Amino acid sequence: MGTLTWEFPPRVVGGIARHCEGLAKALVKLNHEVYLFTLDFPGSPNYEEMDGVKVYRASTELGHPNFLTWVLMFNHFLTKRMADVVNQVDFDVMHIHDWLAAFSGISFKHYMKKPMVLTVHSTEVGRAQGLHSPDSFSINGIEWWSMYEADRVIVCSESMKNEVCGHFNLPGDKVDVIPNAIDATKYQIPVDHGAVRQRYGVGWGEKLILCVGRLVPQKGIEYFIRAIPSISRRYPEAKYIIVGEGWSRDLLEAEARATGQSRKIKFTGFASDREVIELMTSADVLVVPSIYEPFGIVALEGMATGVPVVASQVDGLAEVIEHDRTGVFVYPRSPDSIAWGIDRVLSNPDHARWLTENAKDKLHKAYSWEAVAMKTVDVYRKVVE
Amino acid sequence: MGESHSFRQQPDEQPNQLRLLIMLHNIGATESSKSLTIQQISEWTRMDTPELQTHLQKLIELGYAQSFRSNETDKYHLTVNGIRKVLSLYS
Repeated sequence: MGTLTWEFPPRVVGGIARHCEGLAKALVKLNHEVYLFTLDFPGSPNYEEMDGVKVYRASTELGHPNFLTWVLMFNHFLTKRMADVVNQVDFDVMHIHDWLAAFSGISFKHYMKKPMVLTVHSTEVGRAQGLHSPDSFSINGIEWWSMYEADRVIVCSESMKNEVCGHFNLPGDKVDVIPNAIDATKYQIPVDHGAVRQRYGVGWGEKLILCVGRLVPQKGIEYFIRAIPSISRRYPEAKYIIVGEGWSRDLLEAEARATGQSRKIKFTGFASDREVIELMTSADVLVVPSIYEPFGIVALEGMATGVPVVASQVDGLAEVIEHDRTGVFVYPRSPDSIAWGIDRVLSNPDHARWLTENAKDKLHKAYSWEAVAMKTVDVYRKVVE
Repeated sequence: MGESHSFRQQPDEQPNQLRLLIMLHNIGATESSKSLTIQQISEWTRMDTPELQTHLQKLIELGYAQSFRSNETDKYHLTVNGIRKVLSLYS
């Protein structure tokens, strides 16, 4: 099969890159041939094989300051890159990820007369918490159009299915729910906790409170920062590490300064997978304060490393975590609730340990890439038949 | 606690520094072979040179852009962190 995605490692922006990587490699292990088309990234080759996945990267030779114009242009170059290959390979199905690759995918469907499967990872109305600009309205329209053109639509949670069916009037029987996954073995690495904590300025006996995510409003990091004064009164020795990059970083750093606790708060910027695993493994609690989260793969990553997870009870996160059994739920947009959740974990280490044991158990049973690949192949079979 | 309106801004309403970062990305200045001169950036963005220089210097300090000298002209392009910052707007 062919796969179209605008992000794929090392071009890692959000969860789509990791999803595509995990799924593509698992499909290859199930003896399927996967040809993946994506955009280039500094330092990456325009063709390579990654664990059997054939990765083709398109270089965008033209640009334009307007985002949507730029998207149309890169779709042209993705289509051109794909055209070189489809003349030699007879794909059974084309699988596209999110609206950003929709134009190429829809062109492929009509030229090649082959089925197209679309995975919707999130929606514009959810990401932007409404449609506030002409570009947002246009993206919303492209999302509707790509779902209309797709032979089947995959989403990662029941809440996401409700969202796309409700917002786009999509028939429910056109949508398959396949949860995200992670490779749990990747998170079982020896880590020198003391060295990691020292590297980030966290001393012995101090609490390490970690937050990992893109620095964008939908991740709700501003509410976590606003909880810090309250947490600091209870745990004056706590340190707060915020991992990730994003357009609202400046605003979040200003929010951190306004707490009067900024010397305890560290923004690391983008961190490699290895660094994230080391930090999660060494942290006392992982906070996921999202206000919109179709799935919440970061919660699974935390569960895999054995760190207690405190998360907003929203969307997909509400399906991944069981309150007070595999993690702790807090109210979204509520600094007081976030502070309560963190205290619930830090004040009762035995309970926290029990939560993490339950979380690991659930993770192994429910969220493997092999299971995701098998369910995805079932969807491919439906459209091919 | 009240909502911070600054977090609800759309890219078009962002400060010029962030808008410049986004524009540099979208017009393709994403690696040294695609770097642009101040003159070229000015034509694309319609910002005047002193304002551009101030913003570019700040972006370099933050690690989002870098410059090098070629044929006695300074040229600018985004770093990997700069690219990731822009892409975070769109996903």
